[in-house]
Amino acid sequence: MARLEIRNLHAEVADDEEETILEGVDLAVESDEIHALMGPNGSGKSTLAKVVAGHPAYRVTEGEVTLHLDGDEFDEPIPEDKRTWDLLDLEPNERAALGIYLGFQYPAEIEGVTMVNFLRTALNAKFEEREELFEDEEDEEEAEEAGYDTSPMEGPADEGEVGVAQFQEILRGKMELLDIDDRFADRYLNAGFSGGEKKQNEVLQAAVLEPEIAILDEIDSGLDIDRLRDVSTGINALRDEEGSGVLMITHYQRILDYVEPDRVHVMLDGQVVMEGGPDLAEKLEDKGYDWVREETYGTA
Amino acid sequence: MSTQVHANLTEEQVRAISDELDEPEWLLETRLDALSALSDLDMPKVIRTPGRDWTNLDALDFESFVDPLEGAEQKERVTAEGAEVLEWSEAVAEHEALVREHFGSVVDTQENYLTALSTALFSTGTLVYVPERVDAEDVKIRTTVDSRSLFNYTLVVTETSASVTILERQSTGDEVEGDRYYSGIVEAVAGENSRIQYGALQNLSEETYNYTLKRGRTDVYATINWIDGNIGSRLTKTEVSTELAGDSSETQIVGAFFGHDDQHFDLDSKVWHYGEHTTADLVMRGVVDDTARSVYEGVQYVGDDAWNTSSYQRENTLMLSDESEADASPKLEIDNHDTEASHSATVGQIDEEDLFYMLTRGIDRESARNQLVEGFFVPVLDEVEVGELRADLRELIAARLRE
Ligand SMILES: Nc1ncnc2c1ncn2[C@@H]1O[C@H](COP(=O)(O)OP(=O)(O)O)[C@@H](O)[C@H]1O
Ligand SMILES: [Mg+2]
Repeated sequence: MARLEIRNLHAEVADDEEETILEGVDLAVESDEIHALMGPNGSGKSTLAKVVAGHPAYRVTEGEVTLHLDGDEFDEPIPEDKRTWDLLDLEPNERAALGIYLGFQYPAEIEGVTMVNFLRTALNAKFEEREELFEDEEDEEEAEEAGYDTSPMEGPADEGEVGVAQFQEILRGKMELLDIDDRFADRYLNAGFSGGEKKQNEVLQAAVLEPEIAILDEIDSGLDIDRLRDVSTGINALRDEEGSGVLMITHYQRILDYVEPDRVHVMLDGQVVMEGGPDLAEKLEDKGYDWVREETYGTA
Repeated sequence: MSTQVHANLTEEQVRAISDELDEPEWLLETRLDALSALSDLDMPKVIRTPGRDWTNLDALDFESFVDPLEGAEQKERVTAEGAEVLEWSEAVAEHEALVREHFGSVVDTQENYLTALSTALFSTGTLVYVPERVDAEDVKIRTTVDSRSLFNYTLVVTETSASVTILERQSTGDEVEGDRYYSGIVEAVAGENSRIQYGALQNLSEETYNYTLKRGRTDVYATINWIDGNIGSRLTKTEVSTELAGDSSETQIVGAFFGHDDQHFDLDSKVWHYGEHTTADLVMRGVVDDTARSVYEGVQYVGDDAWNTSSYQRENTLMLSDESEADASPKLEIDNHDTEASHSATVGQIDEEDLFYMLTRGIDRESARNQLVEGFFVPVLDEVEVGELRADLRELIAARLRE
C-alpha cells in the first residue's frame, strides 16, 4: 500500500518569483483508491501535478510531498528505512522509478521515437533506477564479503532487461485492455495523434508502467464517448488490477459516470478548499464553481 | 590569401603524378593550367553573417598539410555486373574519349582555389561507367587515407536508361603526426532517363581538414539522388549539388551531420533548375555538441526557362550544448515564377517539455537526450534509400551519443 501525501505545498514559477501558483495544497492519495481533483481553469491543478512529478519550471517554497511505501510494493521487501521518500529531493525519473506517474494534459509529441521502443526503454530504466534507489551500501558490502554480487533489492534489471519479445507481449495485452489498435505500437510517440489518441496513450503508458500512484491530468478532455469508455476501463483497471492509486484531474462530471471516485477534492486559487465523497462531484455539477467560491470566501 | 601552398608546388610534381597514372597529354595540360591558375583563384565562398566569417579557409595552413607526392591510401572498389568501376590509370587507358568528354564538364577545374589544387594534385581516382540500360546495384568505393594528404577524384557516367547505386566511404587509416588534408571532387553525369544514387559517408579522423565537392548534371528524365553523411574531420567544407539541365529531370539531396568537440562543418546544398518540369528536394538535419559549429547554406535557383518547377528545401539543426553554434541560410532565387517552392531552416535546442515527458516515464536524462537525438535524425534516415548507408549512419550517430 503506497500513499502520496502533499502537505502545505507552496510553489511559484521558477523564473518569476512574483508568480505564486500553489498556496498551501493539502491532499493525500493511496493505493486502491481513485480520487477526483476538480476545480475551475487556472486554479492550479496542472501545476500541482507537474510539481509532484518534478517539473523544472516551478520552485517549491514551502511544504512537503512524501511517498510512503508499505514494503511489499516491489518484487523484494523494502527495508524499513527506505519506505518514506521526500519526493522533492528526487529527480523526475527517480520519482517515476518509485511509482509516480503523470499523464499529461498536453502530452509531448516526439518524432522518430516509436511507442514500443520508448516504453520498453522506460520500463527497463524504471527497474534499473529503482534498483539504484534501494541499493544499500552496507548490504552490498556484506553481500560482497559473503560472496554474493547482488543487492537484496534486485529487480528484473538484474535478471536482464525486459526483452523485445517479452515486451511486445506485455504491450499487446495492455492495448487489448484499452481497445487500442495494434498499429499504435509502431507509431512515433504522439506525433500526429488526435487529441483523443494522445489521452488514450497516456493511460496505456500508465497501464504498462504500473505505477503506485498515477496522476492523470484532464484525461477525459477531447474524448468521444467510445474512447471515454475505453479510457475509463483503463483507469478502473489501474486501481482494480494493479492496485494503483489514481488522482484524476478533471473539470467535467462526465467521466465520473464511468469512473466512480472514492474521494473528491476541489481546488480554487492554488488551494484545496473542499473535500468529500462522490456526492460532492454531483453537487458541483448542480451548483457550479461559483458556489465553491461563495462557500470559500463567503458571499460577495 | 595568407598562407598558400602553391608557392612550393612545382610543375615537376604535377608531371610526376600525371606520369604515374599514364595520363594523356590533354589531362596533364589541364592539371598544369590549374596549377598556374592558383595564384589568381579565391577560396570557395563561405557564409558571412554580420561581424562574422563562419569558415575562414584562407587561414588554413595548407602548406603544412599538403604533401603532393606522398598520397597513400587503401582503396576498395566493388563493381556491379554490367558496370565498370575503374581506377584512374585504367580509366584513362580504356575510356579516354569518355573521360575527356566529361572531365571538368560539371565542376569547373578552376572554379576556386581548392578545385584547382585538387585538379593539379589528385593522385587517385575512380571512373564509374554504366552503359545503356544497365542496372548496377551496390557499387562501392572505400577510401582509407594513410598519408598526410590525399587528393581524390571520381567521375560517374550513366548512359541512357542506365541506373547505378554507389556507396562511397572515406576514413583515415595510419596515424600521422599533425594535421591532415583530404580533398575529393565528384562529377556525376546522368544521361537521358538514367538514375544515379550516390551515397557518401565521411568519417575522417578529427585531425583532417576536408574539402569535398560533389556535383551532378542531369539529361532529360534523369534522376540524381545524393546522400551525404558527415561525422568525422576537423573541418569540413562541402558542397553537394545538382544542375537540373534536362527537362523533367529530378534530384534529391539528403544530408546528415553530427559534430562534437571542436569540429566545424560548412555545408552547402545547391540545385539549379534550368530545364522545364524539374523537381528538387533538399533535406538536411544535423546536430552540434560541445563547441562544435555548423553553417549551412541551401540554394535553390530557378532559371528563366525553368517552367513548371517544383523545389523544396528544409534544414534543421539541433544544438546540444550552450557552447555549440549553428547558422543556417536557405535561399531561393527565382527567375521563372511558374514555380512551386518552399524553403525553411531551423536552429534549436532539445525541447525541455519533451525531455520532461521522457523523464516522468523513468528514463534518465542522458538516455532521454539520446533517444530524442536519434529520433531527430529519423526523418532524414527514412529518406536514405541505401540500406547499408542508413545502417552505418545510424550506428555512427548512436556511437557518438554514447561516447
Ligand atoms: N510556467 C508558468 N509560468 C507562468 N504562469 C504559469 C505557469 N504555469 C502555470 N501558470 C499559471 O498558473 C495558474 C494555474 O495554472 P494551471 O496549473 O495550468 O491551472 P489548471 O490546470 O487548474 O487550469 C494559471 O494562471 C497559469 O497561467
Ligand atoms: Mg490544467
